[in-house]
Amino acid sequence: MLELKSISKNFPGVKALDSVSLQFEPGKIHALVGENGAGKSTLIKIITGIYQPDGGEIHFNGERLCFQSYRDSLARGIDIVYQEIQVIPDSTIAENIMLDKMVTYGGTGIVNWNKINEIAATYTAMVGLNLPVSTPVRGLSAAQKQLVQIAKALAAHARVLLLDEPTSSLTEHEANNLFVMLRKLRDDGVTILFVSHKFEEVFAICDTISVMRDGRHVGTRPAAELTRSELVRMMIGRDCKDEHLGRLDVNRDRELLRVEHLTRTGKARDICFSLHEGEILGLYGLVGAGRTELARLLIGEDTPDSGAVFIDGRQAHIRSVADSLYHYKMGYVTENRKEEGLLLKEPIRTNITITVWNRLINRLTRAISPARESGITGSMIESLQIKATSHEQKTEDLSGGNQQKVSIAKWLAADCDILIIDEPTVGVDIGAKDQIHRLIWSLAKTSRKGILLISSDMPEIIKVSSRILVFKDKGIVGELTGVDDPARTYEELSTAIGRHLQ
Amino acid sequence: MQDNLNDSVPAAAKSVSVDSREWISGRTLGLIISTTVLFAGLSLFSESFFSQYTMFVISRQIAFYVLIALAQAVCLVVGGMNLSVGAIGSISTIILGLCLDHWGLPGWLAVPLTLAAGGLAGLVNGLIITRLKIDSFIVTLSMMFIFMGLRSGISGGEPYAVKDSFTFIGQKTVLGVPYVFLIMLVVLAATGYLYRHTVFGRRMLATGGNENAARLSGINTGNMILSANVLSGLFAALAAVLWASKLGSAAPETGDDWLIISFAVAIIGGTGLNGGVISAFGIFMGGAIYLLIQHGLIEVKANPYYAKSFLGALILLAIVVDRVREIYGTRKRA
Repeated sequence: MLELKSISKNFPGVKALDSVSLQFEPGKIHALVGENGAGKSTLIKIITGIYQPDGGEIHFNGERLCFQSYRDSLARGIDIVYQEIQVIPDSTIAENIMLDKMVTYGGTGIVNWNKINEIAATYTAMVGLNLPVSTPVRGLSAAQKQLVQIAKALAAHARVLLLDEPTSSLTEHEANNLFVMLRKLRDDGVTILFVSHKFEEVFAICDTISVMRDGRHVGTRPAAELTRSELVRMMIGRDCKDEHLGRLDVNRDRELLRVEHLTRTGKARDICFSLHEGEILGLYGLVGAGRTELARLLIGEDTPDSGAVFIDGRQAHIRSVADSLYHYKMGYVTENRKEEGLLLKEPIRTNITITVWNRLINRLTRAISPARESGITGSMIESLQIKATSHEQKTEDLSGGNQQKVSIAKWLAADCDILIIDEPTVGVDIGAKDQIHRLIWSLAKTSRKGILLISSDMPEIIKVSSRILVFKDKGIVGELTGVDDPARTYEELSTAIGRHLQ
Repeated sequence: MQDNLNDSVPAAAKSVSVDSREWISGRTLGLIISTTVLFAGLSLFSESFFSQYTMFVISRQIAFYVLIALAQAVCLVVGGMNLSVGAIGSISTIILGLCLDHWGLPGWLAVPLTLAAGGLAGLVNGLIITRLKIDSFIVTLSMMFIFMGLRSGISGGEPYAVKDSFTFIGQKTVLGVPYVFLIMLVVLAATGYLYRHTVFGRRMLATGGNENAARLSGINTGNMILSANVLSGLFAALAAVLWASKLGSAAPETGDDWLIISFAVAIIGGTGLNGGVISAFGIFMGGAIYLLIQHGLIEVKANPYYAKSFLGALILLAIVVDRVREIYGTRKRA
């Protein structure tokens, strides 16, 4: 049994963990849920010795643990599989699994590759990874890399396995395979700690659910006794409804965007659709279904092999994001806001006005007017309710939800008619998530934008869209209309989507 | 968390100016203190330091350091580098020499031609970097050797004579201030204005800050990198023209020590090695510090054979200070 007793951890200015006590019994799968910033990551980093607690004790099978580093935790059979995939891309599967357990010929120091490959193969078989262990990891899919990590933990004979959002890059089928394996490990007596945002899978696989909020342990319940809405209330401390936000007024007479037979080898397969004024067209699919690839083709980051794009009835030739923005008023809110969306070290002002600098110059001095820059920043902060201490606050220091609002704001500042919004609520906590949903919805409803909403989050896409296209293997496999019809239920719509994906 | 929602907006307006002022004073204060200490030290311990002649030499030399550093800084700003600054300076000197000495062109024609040649050299660098997407390190390293070979081949290692009418810029003063210093001030002020206020400058800064984000925000980042390289070539050629004017001849070895100077002054002056950060005032102070330290080494009769070690250590120190500040900064926030 792994026991945490009054664990506290302070970072300058933040109480990350406030006297958290938890028990994890062997032979069970424990879920650890909570909003971003609730303290889940800090807690697992303390269990694995990456952080040292400021107060409290960790006991494992009656013995007090004082880890100084991750190596210490590994030595006791506590291992972690991260949400970001951590493998050595140029090494083989076997090398990744056996990295810290190299087998040599006797004591010679010469590596016995046959033996290593043989051992590694037993673990890849265990996790259901059907590839030769001599395959380099670089070419593997995200799911396969995840399995390599789990195999590595198993090879280390982990007795406690921590999984931090392990399914974030897996398809449903792959996730189900993972769950089968986790249940088997559980039955072998491994303690499994499962950190996740996805309620469906928490309820599907976990035996007990522990909820954290603002660095405190709110409660632990058997999964069977907890409903979805109770769990949400525990997580955010209030009710949060997941109903559709309301009917949108789609103007069928104005076609903002029409895509005809857009094709690009390996990225888009004969894509045809149109987007109207005031419409939110949801693009649903699993990670890798070809939706981001389509977005990149549309904004000129990539060039199609064939097909045509029409904007406001005119055929468009978009060769760069600059073309897309300045000639066609189409903006793209990226899914990787930290890597591709924002200048993190720069103030909010810079990130909001970057798309409109050319409109703010004084004719004589050629200088960007600070007053007008500040005016735009102020009105965006106000209308999108961005929580910031000043216009000059470093964008890096904002919360995930507010960073997302900043990356949407720059396209609104540029007055784009078409917005492609890619996974807008990844890494955003539940409270801010709802705000972003309402923001996107009102952009279509009142500001009359046409929005392509890319999301792998089914409740989200059903809550916000008026129509949904289902993507699979780089092509469109189905369409659902009238999603904003109040008469239709979540269950009905989600089943319909599921049918298209079969 | 709920509570903060309400008080966030009113607080915004107040703290705007405070934030930026605090940041500038941190770094700039360090530069000002270092310069003052060095200056005071030299004034106290050196008898000749305050002479009019020393001041003339010092201010003119600072001007060269600043121009050379600018040639490097504009490339650092967009997230690249230019190892061929000295080599471009060198080939520009040869072209100036050819124009004036060999073809007998007048100065008003020779100087623009030389500047154009410098810009062209930068353009070649920039085109290879952006169109073929090759790292600026390897491109400018190769071009450095190409340009240096060309200058030796063309000149045969012999200096070219320049007309007497051409040397007043490098050797004369106006109201006691060297022309070279005034030219540098104008160029530096224009560069500072460019980055602080204009769309072009801020787009270059954004490109260096995060190239992907800048491109996905509608900035033609390729053109920004290309322009930065052209600017770099122009600055190197300008420094070369002024240097020839100062020497009274176009010497092929011009530029041989510019590479280290360009990095040292730019880095001491606070130009970000990872792009996105530049300060005109910082580069000026960087030039002053670099010069005062060199001067100081002579005053204390340091063994000149070790001079390069001092300068190398100085650059490293500037980077280490910056890095420590960065690490400390993130800790404080985490």
